[in-house]
Amino acid sequence: MALSIVGVALGVAVVVGIDLANTSARTAFTLSTETVAGRATHSLEASSGTLPDSVYRIIKVDEGFRDAAPVIEGSVRIGEVDGPVVQVLGVDPLAEDPFRSFTGGPDGGIDLGRFMGRSPGVLVAAATAERLNLPEEGRFSAWHEGQHVDLEVEALLPVDSDLDAASLENLIVVDIATAQRVLTMQGQLSRVDLILPEGTEAAFRANHMRGLPDNVTLEQSAGRSDTLAQMTEAFSLNLTAMSLLALVVGMFLIYNTMTFSVVQRRPLLGRLRAVGVTRREMYWMIISEALLVGLAGSILGVVGGLALGNVLVGLVTQTINDLYFVVRIRDLDVSAWSIGKGLAIGIGSTILSTLPPAREATRTAPSMVLKRSATETSTLHALPRLVVSGVVLAVAGVGILWLSGKSIAWSYGGILAIILAFACWIPPIVLLGARTLRPVLGRVFGIIGRMGASGIEQSLSRSAVAVAALTIAVASTTGVGVMVDSFRTTVNTWLTYALEADIYISPPGDVFRRNDATITAEAEHFIRSRPDVEAAYSVRTARVLIDNQETDLIVTEPRPRELEPGRYKATMTGDFRRAMQESDVVMVSEPYAFRYGTNVGDSLRIMTSHGPVAFRVGAIYYDYASDLGVVQMTRDRYDIHFDDPRVSGLAVYATDGKDLDGLIQDLREGTASVQSLNIRSNRDLRQASLDVFDQTFTVTTVLRLLAILVAFVGVLTALMALQLERSRELAVLRANGMTPGQVGRMITLQTSSMGLLAGLLSVPLGLVLAWLLIYVINQRSFGWTLQFEVDGVILLQAILLAVVAAALAAMYPSLSMSRTKASEALREE
Amino acid sequence: MSHLPSLPILSVRDLVKTYREGSLDRAVLQGLSFDIKKGELVVLLGRSGSGKSTLLNLISGMDAPTTGSIRFRDTELTKLSETERTLFRRHAIGIIFQSFNLIPTLKVEENILLPLELGGKLDKDQRQRALAVLEEVGLADRAGSFPDLLSGGEQQRVAIARALAHDPLLILADEPTGNLDFKTAGLVMDILERIVHDKERTMLIATHDRDIIGLADRVFELQEGVLREVSPAESAH
Ligand SMILES: Nc1ncnc2c1ncn2[C@@H]1O[C@H](COP(=O)(O)OP(=O)(O)OP(=O)(O)O)[C@@H](O)[C@H]1O
Ligand SMILES: [Mg+2]
Repeated sequence: MALSIVGVALGVAVVVGIDLANTSARTAFTLSTETVAGRATHSLEASSGTLPDSVYRIIKVDEGFRDAAPVIEGSVRIGEVDGPVVQVLGVDPLAEDPFRSFTGGPDGGIDLGRFMGRSPGVLVAAATAERLNLPEEGRFSAWHEGQHVDLEVEALLPVDSDLDAASLENLIVVDIATAQRVLTMQGQLSRVDLILPEGTEAAFRANHMRGLPDNVTLEQSAGRSDTLAQMTEAFSLNLTAMSLLALVVGMFLIYNTMTFSVVQRRPLLGRLRAVGVTRREMYWMIISEALLVGLAGSILGVVGGLALGNVLVGLVTQTINDLYFVVRIRDLDVSAWSIGKGLAIGIGSTILSTLPPAREATRTAPSMVLKRSATETSTLHALPRLVVSGVVLAVAGVGILWLSGKSIAWSYGGILAIILAFACWIPPIVLLGARTLRPVLGRVFGIIGRMGASGIEQSLSRSAVAVAALTIAVASTTGVGVMVDSFRTTVNTWLTYALEADIYISPPGDVFRRNDATITAEAEHFIRSRPDVEAAYSVRTARVLIDNQETDLIVTEPRPRELEPGRYKATMTGDFRRAMQESDVVMVSEPYAFRYGTNVGDSLRIMTSHGPVAFRVGAIYYDYASDLGVVQMTRDRYDIHFDDPRVSGLAVYATDGKDLDGLIQDLREGTASVQSLNIRSNRDLRQASLDVFDQTFTVTTVLRLLAILVAFVGVLTALMALQLERSRELAVLRANGMTPGQVGRMITLQTSSMGLLAGLLSVPLGLVLAWLLIYVINQRSFGWTLQFEVDGVILLQAILLAVVAAALAAMYPSLSMSRTKASEALREE
Repeated sequence: MSHLPSLPILSVRDLVKTYREGSLDRAVLQGLSFDIKKGELVVLLGRSGSGKSTLLNLISGMDAPTTGSIRFRDTELTKLSETERTLFRRHAIGIIFQSFNLIPTLKVEENILLPLELGGKLDKDQRQRALAVLEEVGLADRAGSFPDLLSGGEQQRVAIARALAHDPLLILADEPTGNLDFKTAGLVMDILERIVHDKERTMLIATHDRDIIGLADRVFELQEGVLREVSPAESAH
């Protein structure tokens, strides 16, 4: 009873934990965009990322449009060059009222006049100040793109509502002038927020926007959170896959434990039947008990899920912060929906999985309830049906995958069907395997071995379920493992040719995938002019509107050596590289082409500083740096179309034979007084990139471990049910001279054989899953071409893992079985 | 009825077995002493719940007594560990149960060889002897069958063969005919009687089937935890 509750709880905990982590991450995104967007319905933005602050003046003063507020967004690091990152929001306190609630409304208690007057003044939530160790009043250091700035806490933000508290956790608010100074955005704004009454968008465009520069566009505020959501899609997908898996394994677990609890009391049930309890009464008795177990287990599971969710959220936040966006997930977002889902899954699958054993126990004649053989015979009869169901499921699964197009949900459905198909084939395979193993084990271990092997066959209905649960759990870790491995190998290979310069220089950015920082002209000049620097090319990453989607535009100077042809997925005829220099031709990354269905020769409408310009796509190139897709343009064309001379990074080639470490040292010292820069060797950068990659998959590792844990408990319960059913037989063996040690060895042999079978079966299933993850899920989500890489070690590990898990799970039952007194077991006649 | 060989193979002295039930100790066996000599067929009578199975379990070493001594020739059973008792049982004792208790996954032949095989690899000689025992119970032709294909009587005969195959010092039988109909029970009894008296084997049968008494060399009756020897004639009615 306790065990079944634990089993249910564990299954529910995993599902709820992952679900909570997932939704919390999502909510955090929405929240952080909401605070910043406030009640704005629209905003004016520029394709180059910033717009001149004259735009605000024109709207507010010249056009007389009242509900407009200037906004500057950015981020700084607190304390040290590599300190914690916070979002910076620059606002005009006088214009804020209608927009954002964090100033506390009209009578919110902050003296706006004071706030405005003192330039370095910062508003910050009390909790944030505490977390960041900011002085309550007074100066503190901050860093932006490697440059030092002084700030001063002006006042603590009053917290009006929960939403504010959560979303203000990682935010400091400054006035526009301070923001411009700190973020080196003199004369610039990130956007101008607007409140437009419904349906007046077109009118606003027509009436108020004529005086604005060409590249300023009117955007709906909601659009911004979409972009953020997209960024974490890869991540979310990963988690969803895992929670689905947890669900399958969790249900297996629940099935096992419930079967166990019915089996355990089979003698009692038999007696009740004999005493005259009707079939129907007994059925309801078992079901209502399952309901209780399900309820208790699910409630416990939800509690455990909350704890697990907390741990996972930590990991998730870490990864998201490092890779995508500055966000702080304060609390688990515990929605009634997540909890309800957990409870429903727990109770539902408990009852569902009690039905077969309940029917089994109630259907048989009273005297037969005591006998296992009745079930086993029916299991044998069910085998052909199982094989056929497996075929039907497999065909359905492949069909769904075939027809589902780009739909990820349906793809997962297809994969689930294939997993279940495989599960259907496991019992007959286990039967065959046990029969094959019998003579082998017999030769090595004598009668103990033979009986161990036939024990599997004898309780096929139990052992097959245990093997299936273990197979699926191990196969999914193998599948994910092979997928991650393939991914990593692909990325590593790609890094080798993508990073061919000797030294890479960039300003310390705040987030890996959204580094808007730029190198100052002074630092750039210094670097380029060093004698040991033979050549250098610059890179600029800008966020631009391309076909009305905010997209990363990567601008490069020509490289000394160009990429080999094999690095392109498709190119136009003729010399597209020349074309990119001389005409409006760009190339797009593989994920970009996938996401927007772009082909070579297509035309992209890019919003330049001087308005929209049509560019032709000259090539599609392999790229694994961004799952969102990027567009590449040459510096020459960029300088023609954009008023933005800045560079985001420099790739440096050292003069042949020069000591790299010495050069790096030289560059560091030379730039230190101007700007603190990341100056890394090729090798370091590649390592850093791989570290980032590995970090993205940390959560995966944790979840894989969890899947194994759940499977382990599943096997344990199946084994306990199995041994319980055979306690009488074991007693007879003991009576006939089998020592406790031999009993233990027999059970261990039996379960290790089951583990071995599960391990062997997990290899093909794991490879199928890996293949599907790489060529279906990844392909449909991101459009990446990955090399399918199978490391034999992973497969060996899988087999070993299964055997060890099974052998470990056997320890407790075999210990307790060899300890129970044979005389007691024989008494029950 | 027959000549009595001199040396006892089993001596039980002052055997006490108490079971704990909650805070109460209940003495099921209250100081039993008796001997069994080679070649004897001893019947143990007693009402249900009188402690017959308990006594057999103590003698077979499946359970340990509270106090007292159980000595087989020069082996003191009560001084052995659980595993040592098992090893002793494996070669010195054959057990026949009421419900035949064959191992369903093993063929008839394998069932019979079980106690021998648990001790290690079989040699040809042992295999031969086991098959000869199967002959004795009249089932030589069923050696390759699985137990569930046999009738109840046949299964019990296989169980008897299993108890004999390793040529034990003492055969214990707990209600060997309890699950059989009258006619089959008679048949099984005949076999038991024959195997004891033809080959000088020694057997202790616990039963409340008074028909068995006719075959016995000696009869014990267990009552209220105390053992009393009765003459076969006296107990027959
Ligand atoms: N493990 C135990 N714990 C507690 N009491 C026990 C245990 N084993 C046996 N007993 C008690 O000891 C007494 C003797 O039981 P035993 O099985 O030896 O009787 P029996 O003479 O074999 O009866 P039957 O003829 O019905 O088989 C019974 O009252 C029983 O309840
Ligand atoms: Mg008894």
